[in-house]
Amino acid sequence: MIAIETTQLKKSYGTAPIVKGIDLIIEKGEIFGFLGRNGAGKSTFINMLTGIIRPSSGTYSLLGVKGPNDQVKKRIGVMPDYSTLYGSLTAMEHLKYLSALSGKPAGKEWCLEILKLVGLESHVRKKVAKFSFGMKKKLGIALAIIHDPELIFLDEPTSGLDAESAIHIHKLILRLQKSGKTIFMTSHNLAEVEKLCTQIAIMKDGKIAASGTMDELRAFYRSTIKVKIKHSPVPTSEQINLHQWLESAGTDLEMKAPYVTITVIDEKKIAEIIRAFQQCRADVLRVEVEEPSLEDIFLDE
Amino acid sequence: MYVIGKREFMSLFKGVKSLIVIAILLVTSYYSAKFANFLLSGIELSAKEAENIHTVGLLGLLLLLGQLFIAGLSHDTINRETHERTMRFLVTRTSRTSIVLGKFLGIWLFWFICLIISFLIISIFAQKIDIFIFSQIMSLVTYQISFTILLSALIPKPGFTMFLGIVVGLSFPILGLWVVFTSNVWVSWTKYITPFYYLEREDFSFLVIFIVAGIMLFFANFIFKRREC
Repeated sequence: MIAIETTQLKKSYGTAPIVKGIDLIIEKGEIFGFLGRNGAGKSTFINMLTGIIRPSSGTYSLLGVKGPNDQVKKRIGVMPDYSTLYGSLTAMEHLKYLSALSGKPAGKEWCLEILKLVGLESHVRKKVAKFSFGMKKKLGIALAIIHDPELIFLDEPTSGLDAESAIHIHKLILRLQKSGKTIFMTSHNLAEVEKLCTQIAIMKDGKIAASGTMDELRAFYRSTIKVKIKHSPVPTSEQINLHQWLESAGTDLEMKAPYVTITVIDEKKIAEIIRAFQQCRADVLRVEVEEPSLEDIFLDE
Repeated sequence: MYVIGKREFMSLFKGVKSLIVIAILLVTSYYSAKFANFLLSGIELSAKEAENIHTVGLLGLLLLLGQLFIAGLSHDTINRETHERTMRFLVTRTSRTSIVLGKFLGIWLFWFICLIISFLIISIFAQKIDIFIFSQIMSLVTYQISFTILLSALIPKPGFTMFLGIVVGLSFPILGLWVVFTSNVWVSWTKYITPFYYLEREDFSFLVIFIVAGIMLFFANFIFKRREC
């Protein structure tokens, strides 16, 4: 079953295109991570899907319902970015008001359970005006899940949270996935996306530059593998030969005995490098292969 | 719609501004009704006018200052939430039409309750409740609420609607009454879109005011549906 499907979804302000045509299919039950630099168009994309702004062109559907559709809003939960909460209301009043608005009025017990889930159980009666930034974030997540939605949009759910709270939210996101929810989240925290997300898309200049599972992205970017080799001393007569050969084998060559660091474009080259050392009468003592992390992929993009 | 309406209604009863407006309404109703007999003895009135003398204070107050009161309390009913981005929580949960209608319903109900209480005070002195005048007043208030919501949907900055609310609130009755009685052909047609023309006639033509209010609300919804939150 498809949770989100977009076809050439675009958004422009005047003549400036922000989102330049996104085609995306997200299956139900996924945790989909949306990455991109500031201004890449991530929030604009979420805002189009959740009805905050209107797309300039293109189509989308949420949970099989073609958007924009007011009925599907009851089945989705949204934690928008930069949202201000009602300062004069308490956490409990927020949950009651907004759950009623979603068509599923929450009782006191359920509100308390949700507040406990996000770690706000000791601030039930406190006015939101007195909440810290992190507490407001947690309440934002509580508001996104209070009506038990099938599809949850979280725009940077852990930014500004301390490490303990962030871990707490990570556990909650995994728990939501286990209960069958689909989660669409944006994040600047690459480690978080790598840890949580089953599918990832990297957005650049209003377009999706790369997408897939973490393994697929790694495979795609495996063409740039960083290899660090510890070797025994190379005979002086062979040093020039080895240097010339290594220079032709890869890029970013660094030779500081007893280490050689080189970036190769194909993993088959690693075996060839080892053979080259042997031909130059030097032993390879250790080989470290650094696979591209999400951060490398993200920075490359 | 009802959830938003309920919250709007409840929030209108909180705050100093609302209490002042309620107090002005109730005090005006009380004293205008109390001294109505004194007015009867001082000036010559037709039988119809004499019959409605108890409500004249309240009607005059709302004709002259009603727009100012309503704009003062509700000028930012939509743009404040858009400006502060709390609107994002609403538009991702319900339809934009429900938001506009809910806001309207809450404000309308607030004024309905206030006016019912005012008329009950008047009824103590007049020994009756004039449903016709109450309906006329409600049509005027409905028009003014719709106009305020239209401004709030049209203008994104709450500070500007506050300013505009005061300017319009003060100039509206003056200009409204002028266009009703002027013979200037260039402006006299505008009397058909102001409530004063229909209120001045002592028949059921005041019902047209509800239609004009409905049209304004339709435009407010039309604009809000295209507004980014």
